[in-house]
Amino acid sequence: MTAIVIGASSGLGRALAEELARNGHALLLVASDVRDLVALAADLRLRHGVAVEPLALDLSREPDPGARVLEALGEDEASALLMPVGVSREDDAFGLGVGAIGQLLAINLHAPLAIAHALLPRLLVARGAIVGFGSIAAVRGRGRNVVYAAAKRGLETFFESLRHRHAPSELRVQFWKPGFLRSNLTFAMKLPMAPAEPSDLAADVVRRLPKGSFDRYAPAKWALVARVLRALPWSLFRRVKA
Amino acid sequence: MSVSPRGYALADLDLSTFDRSTRSTVRVQRPDRYRLLESLPPDVPRIARGSGVSYVAASFGDGAISQELGAFDRLLGFDAEHGLVTVEAGARIGDVARFVLRHGWSLPVVPGHPRASIGGCIAADVHGKNPARDGTFRDYVEALGVFDPLHGWLQASPHENAERFAACHAGFGIAGTIVHATLRLAPAPAAYTIRRLPVANLREARDVLVAHAGAPLLYGWHDGRARHFGRGVIRFGLESHEAAPRAKAGADLPVQVAPWRACAWTPAGITAMNAWIHHRWCRAGSSQVDVASALFPLNDARAYYGGFGPEGFVEAQWLVPYATYDAFVDGLEALVAKHRPAITLVASKLFDGEPEGLAFDGRGIAFAIQLARPRATTQRAFLDALTALALEQRARPNLIKDASLDAATVRQAISGFEGARARLRAFDPQGLHRSDLTRRLDL
Repeated sequence: MTAIVIGASSGLGRALAEELARNGHALLLVASDVRDLVALAADLRLRHGVAVEPLALDLSREPDPGARVLEALGEDEASALLMPVGVSREDDAFGLGVGAIGQLLAINLHAPLAIAHALLPRLLVARGAIVGFGSIAAVRGRGRNVVYAAAKRGLETFFESLRHRHAPSELRVQFWKPGFLRSNLTFAMKLPMAPAEPSDLAADVVRRLPKGSFDRYAPAKWALVARVLRALPWSLFRRVKA
Repeated sequence: MSVSPRGYALADLDLSTFDRSTRSTVRVQRPDRYRLLESLPPDVPRIARGSGVSYVAASFGDGAISQELGAFDRLLGFDAEHGLVTVEAGARIGDVARFVLRHGWSLPVVPGHPRASIGGCIAADVHGKNPARDGTFRDYVEALGVFDPLHGWLQASPHENAERFAACHAGFGIAGTIVHATLRLAPAPAAYTIRRLPVANLREARDVLVAHAGAPLLYGWHDGRARHFGRGVIRFGLESHEAAPRAKAGADLPVQVAPWRACAWTPAGITAMNAWIHHRWCRAGSSQVDVASALFPLNDARAYYGGFGPEGFVEAQWLVPYATYDAFVDGLEALVAKHRPAITLVASKLFDGEPEGLAFDGRGIAFAIQLARPRATTQRAFLDALTALALEQRARPNLIKDASLDAATVRQAISGFEGARARLRAFDPQGLHRSDLTRRLDL
């Protein structure tokens, strides 16, 4: 039984890979740079004695990422597919060229959908779990993170469709909407709320892997933030700059 | 914060040395992938930063981006048959030591702070618990992976890029960013039997240290007060085949110990601390200690470091040759009697190596002298007099420990300084790798 982590080289993806390895899962790790993957795979094998296979894949260019993941998985059973993959840009504010838009959509939406479609039959056979990651940025559309938020909203809809189609007894569909996470990009940003540690969220995600289907914010306080944002009248919400 | 089109983020952060003697607001990059490590434009000044636990500002400085390698902390390979481990440079020495210990191996040279990074240990060529027996960190480095902003990725070993390999040791980051290293291990004992021998003064300490030069652990603690100067205890550890009762696993010493509101190491505080140590440890005896605890005794020293208060402390560390040892000790006793500095600790270690480049090595006995309130006039006067004494007695300074050193002192103290500097800068002719340490010492 192998757990597959898409976007495993850094941040939440790396934290998930470490937490899954700590819990004894064999892993297939997918990210763009083979150097990061080889290093992480070696570390997890040595520390936790689990089987780890790296797969270098540029999700912004790969025409059929699902086929590549399936090929790398071989005959192994897929126990879980976790897709903490995403990329955003500072200049994602109605000024992007078609190439940049395509890249954002490819990584944030197309690749997760394609990989999910390809792996779905295997996950159903294993009665496994599929785990997606949205964003607090997708709660309401704003003048920033335009394409990113649209892609994440699309991903959220896709996971809702999965939950609608499959009972938890045949496929656990779990969708997490994290707030700010500590990362290479946020480590010194002035954020309205303290960023969560990827390792804390990863521990939570792995602990809840066997626990049915759901859609939740993480940490839970972000559910309140999202509710407030949704409740804001449009005239007021337009003035929100954050 | 700013994010470049190449994907790296820079933040202005307030950084401080472990001794709190030097603080600065500098630009910091925290790469978590290889492409981000290599993403800075090649002409941008930078300096690698591991855990930031040096007593001097070796990993930050004005005008240079500190590249924090904390995410590069992975084990890349382990050969349990031949005793080799390959790790990324941001891996902490305590984590690596504990990993190899679980497989029956040990790192022969480990510094005091368990969170020191492997890259930092190499760049400073640190020493361990008995340098006379085990040498310094360089003696166990088999190969390095180095990133040079102008030449890209390089492998370096005694057989490939050998000059750069040598320059990386005690090179303070100038010869390139060390990204991974292969280290040679030694079989680990089951435990150490640590014996204590009280000494009345520093001359007696020399005799005891020399007599136990072959012990895997060997170091002394000495009272720094004028009335009792030099009395103390030499601890030497012998390998034991019987496992010791596992000490309660406490957390590693933090990267920064939160200072107490005020300095506790006043004359009264130092007297109380020394009286306790004297009562507790300065008598003959022995104890069985597990290896991990023996390697990192500083994990129990949080209160000691916190007690220096917001002003922090300063450490002067000099390696005194045997030929001038008696004269140095006479002079030191006289200086302490005259200035009555607030010395919180004098530690002694035996060395028996060849001083290469800027490394802290040689033949003789090293004294680490820690002082509270480093900016106080009396303390400064004592440090200045100690420096003059050390230069007069041909002692060698430890550049990675002593924040009070200046370029002129180091030039005078290290024979062949100019040659060593030239060899280092040959790998960085544009001075791209720079820190407060390299600026202060004009490296």
